[in-house]
Amino acid sequence: MSISGVRATARTDSDVPLFELRNVSKAFPGVQALEGVSFTIHAGEVDMLLGENGAGKSTLMKILCGAYHADSGEFLHHGRPVTIRSPADARALGIAVIFQEFSLVPYLDIAQNIFLGREPRGRFPGTIDHRQMHAEARRLLDTLGVGEDTHALVHTLGVAQQQLVEIAKALSQHARILVLDEPTSALSEHETERLFAVIRRLQADGVAMVYISHRLPEVFLLGDRITVLRDGKGVATVAVSDTTPDELVTLMVGRRVDMQYTREYSTSPGEIVLEAKNLAAVNGIAGVDLTVRAGEIVGLAGLVGAGRTEVARAIFGADRTTEGEVFVLGQARTGGPDRTVRMRVALIPEGRKQQGLAIVRTVTDNLVLASLKRLFPRGWYSPAAAARTAEGNIRALRIATPSARQEVQYLSGGNQQKVVVGKWLNAEAKVYLFDEPTRGIDVGAKAEVFALIDQLVKDGAGVLMISSELSEVVKVCDRAYVMRGFRIAGELVRAELTEANILRLAMHHA
Amino acid sequence: MPEIPRAGPLAPAAASQPARASVRWSRIPGVAYTLAALCVVFALTSKGFLNPTNLANIGMQSTILLLLALPMTLIILTEGIDLSMGAVLTVASVVLAATVVKTGSPVLALGAALAIGAAFGFANGALTAWVAIPPFVVTLGTMGIAQGLALILTDAQSIVGMPESVTWWYGGFLAGIPVPLLVAVAAYLAMHALLYHTRFGTYVFALGGNPDALRLAGVRGDFYLVGVYALGGLMTGFAGLLLTARMSAGHPTAAIGLEFEAIAAVALGGTSFEKGNGWLFGTVLGVLTVGVLRNGLNLLGIPSAVQVAAIGVLVIGALWVDSLRTPG
Amino acid sequence: MSELVAGLPKHDWSGEFKAIGYRLLAVAAMCIALALVSDAFLTWNNVLNVLRQAALLFLLASGLTLVILTAGLDLSVGANVALSACLAGTVMKATGSPALGAALGLACGTLIGAVNGLLVTKARIPPFIATYGMLWVVHGVTYWYMAGSTVHGFPANFRALGSGYWLGIPIPVYLMFLFLAIGVLFAQRTTWGQEIYAVGANPVAARLSGVPIHRRLVLVYALSGAMAGLASLIFLARLNAAEGDIGESLTLPAIAAVLIGGTSLFGGIGTVGGTLVGALILTLVLNGMNLLALNPNSQPLVTGVIVILAVYLDMLTRKRTRS
Repeated sequence: MSISGVRATARTDSDVPLFELRNVSKAFPGVQALEGVSFTIHAGEVDMLLGENGAGKSTLMKILCGAYHADSGEFLHHGRPVTIRSPADARALGIAVIFQEFSLVPYLDIAQNIFLGREPRGRFPGTIDHRQMHAEARRLLDTLGVGEDTHALVHTLGVAQQQLVEIAKALSQHARILVLDEPTSALSEHETERLFAVIRRLQADGVAMVYISHRLPEVFLLGDRITVLRDGKGVATVAVSDTTPDELVTLMVGRRVDMQYTREYSTSPGEIVLEAKNLAAVNGIAGVDLTVRAGEIVGLAGLVGAGRTEVARAIFGADRTTEGEVFVLGQARTGGPDRTVRMRVALIPEGRKQQGLAIVRTVTDNLVLASLKRLFPRGWYSPAAAARTAEGNIRALRIATPSARQEVQYLSGGNQQKVVVGKWLNAEAKVYLFDEPTRGIDVGAKAEVFALIDQLVKDGAGVLMISSELSEVVKVCDRAYVMRGFRIAGELVRAELTEANILRLAMHHA
Repeated sequence: MPEIPRAGPLAPAAASQPARASVRWSRIPGVAYTLAALCVVFALTSKGFLNPTNLANIGMQSTILLLLALPMTLIILTEGIDLSMGAVLTVASVVLAATVVKTGSPVLALGAALAIGAAFGFANGALTAWVAIPPFVVTLGTMGIAQGLALILTDAQSIVGMPESVTWWYGGFLAGIPVPLLVAVAAYLAMHALLYHTRFGTYVFALGGNPDALRLAGVRGDFYLVGVYALGGLMTGFAGLLLTARMSAGHPTAAIGLEFEAIAAVALGGTSFEKGNGWLFGTVLGVLTVGVLRNGLNLLGIPSAVQVAAIGVLVIGALWVDSLRTPG
Repeated sequence: MSELVAGLPKHDWSGEFKAIGYRLLAVAAMCIALALVSDAFLTWNNVLNVLRQAALLFLLASGLTLVILTAGLDLSVGANVALSACLAGTVMKATGSPALGAALGLACGTLIGAVNGLLVTKARIPPFIATYGMLWVVHGVTYWYMAGSTVHGFPANFRALGSGYWLGIPIPVYLMFLFLAIGVLFAQRTTWGQEIYAVGANPVAARLSGVPIHRRLVLVYALSGAMAGLASLIFLARLNAAEGDIGESLTLPAIAAVLIGGTSLFGGIGTVGGTLVGALILTLVLNGMNLLALNPNSQPLVTGVIVILAVYLDMLTRKRTRS
């Protein structure tokens, strides 16, 4: 992607940084999200925050905006120690975060959204002074160089414009530090340029920006300084002029891997079990070509938001395809998920509890759900037969549950995942689409899950595995496709499958 | 209803639509066409339809429905519903009648009607906002409670003998204009001001469109939600005055089911059940549509229950058409 | 062997039976209380009355149970009963054939249910609005069809359905047990039943597991309509008459029976057996009110309160198990 324009040098040289985090740590049950991270923010500067998925960027962001409390560490505002214990504290300090999911009310206009909760009062108690509100909103939009009518209802705006409304909202609360979370991930080139223009204006005004992005060209175009996080630690902070994209990639990879797992990679994969040709769908993917053969684990890597889940859903028929075709065992796949299941394709979705399981139902109920027709062809359900199947699953997969009639919501994450896999084993699937199979599963159970997947391909199935953990993809997969921007950016065969290569393709740095 | 285009996977690297500064009046075509079409049809099928007296009648008879439909609009805007309005209206009407007969004071009677309406409204709101029971269940329950209450208080008999001070509210005139029409206009103006010129109104849209945004903005959305239902109850209480005035009695099953026509009017007027998308004047047009439909069918000799069925078909049809326009 | 995990609550094998067990205890307790409070309760006449009422309520509520299991609702059942009864009755009178009348009544009920199902699936109208609208449409159709008249006087063999006895027990009670068996069989022993539970528990997961959710939803609404049709026949037989207004006041009690029986409004949890007990409990409450000479007009009031309480309890239970 080429972005035109000259980068404005707007760094105001001041000795005391606008905001500083020192030695901030934050732990969640089972994972140290941040460990001793230090970070400085200078007025008028764009500080880039880079890191793999799970490196701690999102935690840092949430701490900055007061959604999480840091366990330890200091915060300094203009050199003075402060605390951030709530969103109100963050707002008072002038910190605002622009998330990827906007909190805008669709059928209110721009001015109403900007001033939600802080409407200027009218003559009578409870009324709103519309004129003043719109005048203020107009002024804010003009500061940003945005021309939209303040009376426009937010739902009529495109994503880029809504983002600008969010920025205007932050400014209206006197934000002096803007944290932008992957702001260009959903923007066109033209809109991105507009956003950059806005950012430059803000810089000139002395507003500091913390910018999270994976697009290296942007990082080098806009950034003044880059901080790389890895495994919750600050690995390096460098000036943009002092580094190269390659160096950044090297800094980002190389996470400490707790998981002890080795696998014999497939050398002679079998027939093609899954093939997608020029696949496009309503969810945004386009031009996707991929194949999966029996006996191999094919990775689908990329950064969050690259479109991997969408590919899996399109293949499964959960989202409607608009172009191209999918072939399962040579046969064209048409229709919805009910047909796909009959063609022996399995989808283990990302959100186990939301999409993979009926959590108030029992282990048995969930295990047999996808194979009711196969197990009970005449339609007569036998709890005894279902229980037998379930017991078999529980034994084979070593599902830890007091009984087959336990409600699934009481199982641990890893065991819930096993139930989902068991469901598809019972359906005798030949193609498995795994979406983040080890998310939310502790280290010990992860190896088990991979062993399970390995067994699946050893028994002749083909697996397409989506994972955001680079180390997982490298360790487990025979080869991998890398996605970027809802398209396949490239394919890496076993010999080329390294974390650095994946990241390069995922971040558009060839 | 057009979905809000959120950031993220659904709009990747595609050029965004240029902002059409859409005005809130973009929904005029739907209900106005329906209203116009019905008027044309009935003008052709019934001689008396376009008679000024008849048209005035439509206006008069729509006033009570409007008093229900206006707050119902706000409730539906918050993604809620109030199935109890008809029953509460009945109870309020009956309480008013009983109080007038017992105490002879229309002021006290109105106070009692308002009180009982507000009480039910508050209960609906409290159970919805604080106990988090889905509104259709809450109001289904309170509908039964109100119905029962109305029957018990009256022993299933009408309460007759309303004084002039009460019946004036439906049959009287002020400066040459029928009182109910003045009430209706006043109610509309008040609700319009409330919805579009106060914080309360803004938050109503937010409660339906994105309650999280309200929370993040530090607003106690639950208070406003209770207030919306309480307001509905209050206006229903006032409508009780008009109803009693109109029937010159308090009848224990008078308005059962009127909430359905109110919901129909709101839906026809363009307010959707989700996402805080709505339009107050649309409800006025919706009320007129319902009124015209009823009146026209009445002139054709079609009984009341069938008229309501026609309303049902119209609403279901409108909702179906709406679903065809939005991608699944 | 499956492993026991330390610390996890041992799953109660008879969880569902426990729930029904508590409710049966409630029934027993109520019976005892009513017997103590009123002499008229334990008379043969009254007991049969209670059973007959409960049977009718159960038949109507059994189909509704399936709908609520999918996290849906059918507010039109009362109106459905009215139209189906009127249709059945008039056809019976006109043709002299109870069989034809009954068949048409059932067909009518099922058709209304199917339309509800289509509105919910194809038109994507929220169930409470769709069925509420249908309530009024069906009500109007009934009124237009009957044009204010009444139909009465049906052949004795048909009337037996509602008023007859066999071995001293009212026929409707036998029907109640018959459809209890059918209902339990359907819900617990067919693949359709399992799929319906899955749709209610998590429609997204069900769809992604290959369940044709739209087809199943239309099925449950159609079944609810069919049972309304059946209930209308019993009603018709019992009253020996039909007119536009009958059955109106049946909807709220039917919903109450389902909820009292432990079926969750949010879907995925509940049983047909529970609905039977729920119907018994509600009927006992209303019967008790009658025996104590409480104002019969307070019945909808009490039912309304019960519905709200039942949902509240359900929400508490779900919240507790979730955490």
